[in-house]
Amino acid sequence: MLKTAIDVGGTFTDCLVLDEQGQIHQFKSPTIPDDPALGLINVLKKTATFFKMELPEFMSNVGLFIAHGSTLATNALLTGRIAKVGLMATKGFRDTIEIRRGYKNIRTSRFNVFVPPYKPLVPRYLRIPVEERILSTGEILKPLKEDDIYAAIKKFKEEKVEAVAICFLHSYLNPAHEKRALDICRQEMNGTYVTASHEVLPVFREYERFSTTVVSAAIGPITERYLAALSERLRELGGGLVQSVEESARRAVSLIGSGPAAAPSGAIRLGQCIGTNNLVSVDVGGTSFDICLIQNGVIPTTDYNWVGDERVAMKLVDVQSIGAGGGSIAWIDSLGLLRVGPQSAGADPGPACYGKGGNRPAVTDADLVLGYVPADYFLGGEIPLKADLAEKAIRSVAEPLGLDVPTAAKTIFTTVNSLMADKMIEVSTKRGYDVRDFALVVGGGAGPVHSAHLAELLEIPTVIVPRYAAAYSAFGMLNMELGRHFSRSVIARMKLLDLERVNQLFLDMEAEGRQILTEIGIAPQDAVLKRSMDMRYVGQFHEVEVTGVPLGAISPAELEKITQAFHVRHKDLYTFNMREREVEFLNLRLEATARHETLKLAEIPKASQEASSALKRRRRVLWSLDRGYEETPVYDGTRLVAGHKISGPAIIEEPATTVVIPESYACTVDGVKNYILQRR
Amino acid sequence: MASSRVDPMTLSTVWHSLQSICREMRHVVDRTSQNYLIAQLHDISIGIWDGTGKTVAIPIGLSTQYLGGKLSVEYVLNKFKGNLHPGDVILVNDPYKGYCCHLPDWGFYRPIFYKGDLLFFTMCRAHQMDTGGSFPGGYFPNAYDIHAEGMCIPGIKVMEGDREREDVMELILNNVRWPQGVRIDNYAQIASLRVCEQRVTALLDKYGKETVQACLAEMFDRTERTVRNTIERIPDGTYYGEAATDDDGTELDVPVWVRCKLTVRGDTIEVDFAESDKQRKGYVNCVYNTTFSVTLSALFMFMDPALGEYHNEGSLRPVTILAPPGSVVNAQYPATVGASPVNMGHQIIESVVMAMSQAMPERAIACWGKRYGHYIFGTDPRTNERYVVTTFDMDGGAGAVRGFDGYEGATPIGTLGEVNKGNVEEVEMRFPWQCQRWEFAEDTCGAGKWRGAAGIHWQYENIGSDAGMATGSSDGERVRAAGALGGEPAPNSRAFLTRQGETTRINSHRLYQLKTGDVIHKISGGGAGVGEPAERDPELVRRDVINEFITIEKARDAYKVVIDPETLQIDREQTSKLRTASGAGK
Repeated sequence: MLKTAIDVGGTFTDCLVLDEQGQIHQFKSPTIPDDPALGLINVLKKTATFFKMELPEFMSNVGLFIAHGSTLATNALLTGRIAKVGLMATKGFRDTIEIRRGYKNIRTSRFNVFVPPYKPLVPRYLRIPVEERILSTGEILKPLKEDDIYAAIKKFKEEKVEAVAICFLHSYLNPAHEKRALDICRQEMNGTYVTASHEVLPVFREYERFSTTVVSAAIGPITERYLAALSERLRELGGGLVQSVEESARRAVSLIGSGPAAAPSGAIRLGQCIGTNNLVSVDVGGTSFDICLIQNGVIPTTDYNWVGDERVAMKLVDVQSIGAGGGSIAWIDSLGLLRVGPQSAGADPGPACYGKGGNRPAVTDADLVLGYVPADYFLGGEIPLKADLAEKAIRSVAEPLGLDVPTAAKTIFTTVNSLMADKMIEVSTKRGYDVRDFALVVGGGAGPVHSAHLAELLEIPTVIVPRYAAAYSAFGMLNMELGRHFSRSVIARMKLLDLERVNQLFLDMEAEGRQILTEIGIAPQDAVLKRSMDMRYVGQFHEVEVTGVPLGAISPAELEKITQAFHVRHKDLYTFNMREREVEFLNLRLEATARHETLKLAEIPKASQEASSALKRRRRVLWSLDRGYEETPVYDGTRLVAGHKISGPAIIEEPATTVVIPESYACTVDGVKNYILQRR
Repeated sequence: MASSRVDPMTLSTVWHSLQSICREMRHVVDRTSQNYLIAQLHDISIGIWDGTGKTVAIPIGLSTQYLGGKLSVEYVLNKFKGNLHPGDVILVNDPYKGYCCHLPDWGFYRPIFYKGDLLFFTMCRAHQMDTGGSFPGGYFPNAYDIHAEGMCIPGIKVMEGDREREDVMELILNNVRWPQGVRIDNYAQIASLRVCEQRVTALLDKYGKETVQACLAEMFDRTERTVRNTIERIPDGTYYGEAATDDDGTELDVPVWVRCKLTVRGDTIEVDFAESDKQRKGYVNCVYNTTFSVTLSALFMFMDPALGEYHNEGSLRPVTILAPPGSVVNAQYPATVGASPVNMGHQIIESVVMAMSQAMPERAIACWGKRYGHYIFGTDPRTNERYVVTTFDMDGGAGAVRGFDGYEGATPIGTLGEVNKGNVEEVEMRFPWQCQRWEFAEDTCGAGKWRGAAGIHWQYENIGSDAGMATGSSDGERVRAAGALGGEPAPNSRAFLTRQGETTRINSHRLYQLKTGDVIHKISGGGAGVGEPAERDPELVRRDVINEFITIEKARDAYKVVIDPETLQIDREQTSKLRTASGAGK
């Protein structure tokens, strides 16, 4: 059976197919923004043609099929192409999403007060108060006034609202009122997208829960349409869809962040090639640099996420991002400092050297001037680069800095590397790790150009550049564990914790998890369930997630062990713990995933000749400002095979990327065509 | 622009690294502290100074707590001359000796040595849940003198060679309520200092001492040059600003004034507070450090926004701040200072903002919603434990600026939105109070071409024991903060207490006894406006009416826009008449 992963990106829809021999085939087709499902079908047709099949026949040969339209949801939110949402809120609390706990624009210095105020996804006149109140104990203080629901529905209909979010206080504990409101809405507003906060994120802290719910409502209809179109088209073709469409549509917000979430799974598979599971996965795209730190093969998750200016508190893979990539623009600030990004030239007009009208210097322009990337073989020659335009653009920052063009290019290159390196240090030290103990796994078109220099800056000994670096995210999907996270709040200090209730909530989540896995075609025996608990010292505000919570009924003795694990984890994370303090339990979490086998990768032939047989040409590269431009060997990646060893300084040109190897690193081609760079 | 000292690459890397170290420190405290103010509301400041006390990095924090941190570092340097060693941690909260703001703000300092040389200082200062004194919280009126406000800690070592001086800490913690909680927070702060030392040492290892020091010199010079460039573009002249707080909490209902005379001369600014009121018996007095810190904060709002996180010693050099000893802006021992971060701290900022908005009308800024806080202390019947709670939840949002309406929900001007509000679900779980209402209040934003953000209606019921409440961190019941360029101030804030069906007015700067079942209502004023209200786009006025930020009456009276109450459409003809009559659009 074939395994197929499709990543619906902003510009291209990528498709990777893994055949039974472990051979990976790569296809791409333009994304169709108005009908992403059609773009997806197009790339599938292209793929089927390659395998000399009609589409239905091809689909019947596909054993695993994953498609992500994550950018669809994210872009809809970032560009404001969202549904008109109506909100029903507990009377007296309709402004929670606009007061938003006082968060100002999180990316602006507090001294910059010249920023437009936050524009809520639901304007105040569409936020309708509903009389009802549930207490922090779950008791009902005020019964639900159903007349208020009907009045709100009337208003929503008049205003042609396209989606409804229902947000009541303490609904994570007692969802009765939200459930009733949902029923009435679904009955009275047939065809309108309706969701409630206990469905989207049943955990305490109303701002975070309401905001996530409203985001889910805002992108709900567009997601629903896409998923419906997709499942319709796939049904016509006789193929199934692994992800349950209905389930995804109900929690539209869960699509956000699903794209970057895939890469770390690919990194873990690649780490196995060199026998390590301590990895930093980085993906260098045109506009952003995504980092994920994997320790002991565990992919970290977080619920502190912002998408644009919206707080999304779903638990997502903890991928930190900064605006630094091949298209990032270099500029000089009022302090006379050279800065790179976050503004990006994007794909259009792109860096100056694309010759598409861009005239500001981008990172790719610097890469070109330094000789790292080829003018005639960028994306396999698809985009011819113009060095004179790159130089001209760089001159605009070189002159004010009093530098010549090559020095300025080197400064841009190093500045963007430092930005990336700083972020990597921040990500690792935030979690208490030393980045030097990790191997760097690099993806994205611009990734292999910068990765060895990044590793050099951070003293990282090993870099893995995969053969499919340019389709890193789709490669990750092939390796990803399918499944979902569940959570429930308990909120009680140790001595008041109701173990019976804890055990019941875990059982409930497990039943739900198994059911969802069944819906997507995973047999019960293949379901993997992992429990964890959020805990803190009584009085603290932030919780620590303790993993390794045993399955089955938890006894007081096991609870004690979990508490000990919490003390240890707290110390790991924050340099201290307080064993004498009482601990408090907050959320129970369950991860339900499908057992999956390690992806088999095809072996490539072993080298029978020296690597020099793959020498393509030599070109002038600026490795060091002191030494100036130096003739450097350039290898043809397509002619390199297992066992070839190349010492830096050298360059390897692959069709979709360029691997830059500085003097301090040596590169070996491994048995499945990864480039393993080792510090000398 | 080219520099001869260091290459642009290294300079930029070192500069940004020092900022990110501060962010990392805050992260450590955020995640590990237990005090509501620190962990949730971010009443905390972090910074790095050089070995002589020059300000190196101050990207995050509350202005009042630390922009003047250099004065405090200089004090520590002086006091411990020849007696500072690696692994020492010094604790200071004394406003008079140690240049702190008020007693609850405990600052932990750590000298950072590199190969035997003292090269840096780092500090983490945060508002403790208790610091002794007659009442919890620090914002209570009528203390006899500073000693009655709490424990005064001069610079003392609480750690030596990374070992806690246990007897010293015991003495300190024995004098606060909730010693266990305070200890957690102190550990969190000290842990952040250790992180800073590790990271700064790594930076020095990588670039070498000489290069890093050359970077510092270059950083200071560049910031200074940019600040001077901005000031140079302001027409030379003298500008005036003033603001008042409701009263000093002792002599009731008599507003206390701060007055500033701001003189721009070439590329320098002098801010002189000589005309301000004399030092008071009540607790609104500011020590010089407070005045110094918040004045800088007000000025920074008018500087190039790109400077935001880059401010350092260089930003301080072109500015002179004068405050006569014995005045309310330079109080002398043993005056009480409990409320000073809010009152007069906020008013000092308001007066400088008022003056600067005249000097730079193209960047005019209106005053923000007044702080309307309080401290409540009682017992939680669910656990039988004592608690103290404060919050910024009821504070109105930001003032308008030229070009934009005020930011809704942001916390007051003294915090510049750095503080967060809470979650009702978290409050109800943690404290015996039940929220009845928390939403924007109608007609509470200051009118203007760009309007201020709204005030807030906040209403809670006491379901715990009888309790005490100090309304010291409140203001704006008798005074209003200025708009700019013809924008109006927001209305006054009001508070009420309902007991057994009877509702009475309660006031700022007082102490109250609360009973079980009491309901507190607070309706705060929002931010002030910028520009003439009658020049506001009528469509925006209509939108504010539809969204119930303002009433139809307010639309007509302040904005001169007539809106039909049935259709909610603009009556163009009437509006035009009204606006012509009022002389709008001239």
